[in-house]
Amino acid sequence: MKDGFEVVGIRETPREAPVKQAGRYKGAPFAAFFLLFFILFGCLFCHLIGTKDPAYLDLKNCSVPPNREFLFGTDTMGRDLFSMIWYGGRVSLFIGIAATFVSTVIGIIFGTVSGNAPAWADALLMRIVELLLSVPNLLIVIMIQAVTGRSDVTGILIAIGLTEWMGIAKVVRSEVRKLRKSEYVIASKCMGGGFFHVLWAHLVPNFVPSVMFMAVMNIRNAVLAESTLSFMGVGLPVETVSWGSMLSLAEKALLTNSWWIILIPGLFLTVTLSCIASLGNELRKRINRRQSLL
Amino acid sequence: MKRYDFLVYFGKKAMLFFLSIFLLSVFVFYISRLAPGDPLLSYYGERAERLGPQEREWAEKRLGLNESVTVQYVRWLKNALRGDFGISYKYKMEVTEVIKGRIGNTLILGGSGFLLIFGLALLTGILCAWREDGILDRILCKVGTVVSCIPEFWLSLVLILIFSVNLRWLPSSGAGAAGAADDFCGRIRHLILPLTVIVAEHLWYYAYLIRNRLLEEMRADYVLLAKSKGLNKRRILFAHCLRNAVPSYISLMAVSVPHILGGTYIVETVFSYPGLGTLSYESARYKDYNLLMLLCILSGALVIFCSIAAKAINERMDPRTGNRNIAAGAEVQRR
Repeated sequence: MKDGFEVVGIRETPREAPVKQAGRYKGAPFAAFFLLFFILFGCLFCHLIGTKDPAYLDLKNCSVPPNREFLFGTDTMGRDLFSMIWYGGRVSLFIGIAATFVSTVIGIIFGTVSGNAPAWADALLMRIVELLLSVPNLLIVIMIQAVTGRSDVTGILIAIGLTEWMGIAKVVRSEVRKLRKSEYVIASKCMGGGFFHVLWAHLVPNFVPSVMFMAVMNIRNAVLAESTLSFMGVGLPVETVSWGSMLSLAEKALLTNSWWIILIPGLFLTVTLSCIASLGNELRKRINRRQSLL
Repeated sequence: MKRYDFLVYFGKKAMLFFLSIFLLSVFVFYISRLAPGDPLLSYYGERAERLGPQEREWAEKRLGLNESVTVQYVRWLKNALRGDFGISYKYKMEVTEVIKGRIGNTLILGGSGFLLIFGLALLTGILCAWREDGILDRILCKVGTVVSCIPEFWLSLVLILIFSVNLRWLPSSGAGAAGAADDFCGRIRHLILPLTVIVAEHLWYYAYLIRNRLLEEMRADYVLLAKSKGLNKRRILFAHCLRNAVPSYISLMAVSVPHILGGTYIVETVFSYPGLGTLSYESARYKDYNLLMLLCILSGALVIFCSIAAKAINERMDPRTGNRNIAAGAEVQRR
């Protein structure tokens, strides 16, 4: 710089290093994540882990307590609990995820239609949702099941999916109602965007976070519903192995005091459910975090 | 003028109530009739399978099952409006009599459970909100998440396994010792386990709600003002935040009745507690139509009444909200 003037007296300020987002993963439920991953992994590769055929009735070894051959013992019909846990988990989790998929799709479509509808139709649709919400879910599932008359995996997952969409529909509807008058949606409509284009490109990104949380919770609820139904004898039959149908043998197990038949499947169920729940809660916390004023 | 307004308001709510009950009764009637199953099985028991075709026809005619569903429904509705709900196929007596014998048990279990949950949840919620992210708060939240994830029926089974099968401290089923149904201590002993399950399952969810509601209030601007006026923390929390949080909590508890009711039904079934839960499970299973109808309408009426009441409470206590959705902040978490 040899051009007459020389600038002096500038204090050299070191260029600020970008501040690392501190504590981004602080308090994240790692334990829940890994446990869930472990269980999912085991269920996916159950044919490699399971040492025995879960459907084989070993009548010589009924109600054997856990030992080296039967790691978790056998049930009252002589089936190996260790293999049943992994195979049954596959069925239970599949029902949970598939039922949630069904309910989420129904909920989003119903909510968007209701949100875009004229006021009277919207009020009518929301009344229907409220009426359905006020009936205990279990009752509706039992009824749907009675009508379809099917007690296999597909029947159950459809019955559960049909009862869990109401919450999502409500959230989606209120979001859509808020957004549909906003400038960018109107602009998109003026430029000729169709219903599904507006839904996909402008509305969905706005309600993904809140729907995500509810969907995660719905997985939990669906797994829970399946196990409760199967336990009460209106869900899957004993021959179809799932965590719920394994527990339906519990009444017999109580008589013989065979604790492993009750404790082990229930423990797996509870751990899975609480892992899913804590992941869901973490998700919600991330979505709306604000500082306390107090 | 004011009085007239109130009457219109009340009339509207009552109409909504009766309309919902009517729809519910149509819904349940058709579904239960269309579902596969043989109602004669519950009337004649094992003998039903040996009935000849002619006897069958005669029996169906006697019970009025041979006509179309719509005709049956109209006849049922006519009788029901006169207060005659028919006879139970299984117990062979008036449906109302059957229910009268059982409803007390359910009310005791559900009612005491509800009150306990209501009080304890408020306490726990305040305790957690008082020290947000403190040790107690974090422990309670963690424990609560895990406990509320335990399936009701499994918790009941585990408690039975521990306390009745192995320790032999508490009875595993029934509502009172045989022959001594009025024995007070016996009844309490039979209540402990089912009540524990109901409270443990629901407490955390409501405690968590009140905690979050309070934390939300603490982030409102008026707290800053109150603080700058020099009020201390206790005063702000109890006199300002809690007061704003309680109306929505009360209306939420009204909405929660069906969940607690549903939970009671499952718990009753596991403990074979002679209440409405076991009764409705039996009647749905064995096609005891008349009984099932009345039970569904009873619980439906309670549920619908509670949700209307919740709305009314919300509108009255907090006129700002108008038609704001009560459950919106509650992230409907049900089963």
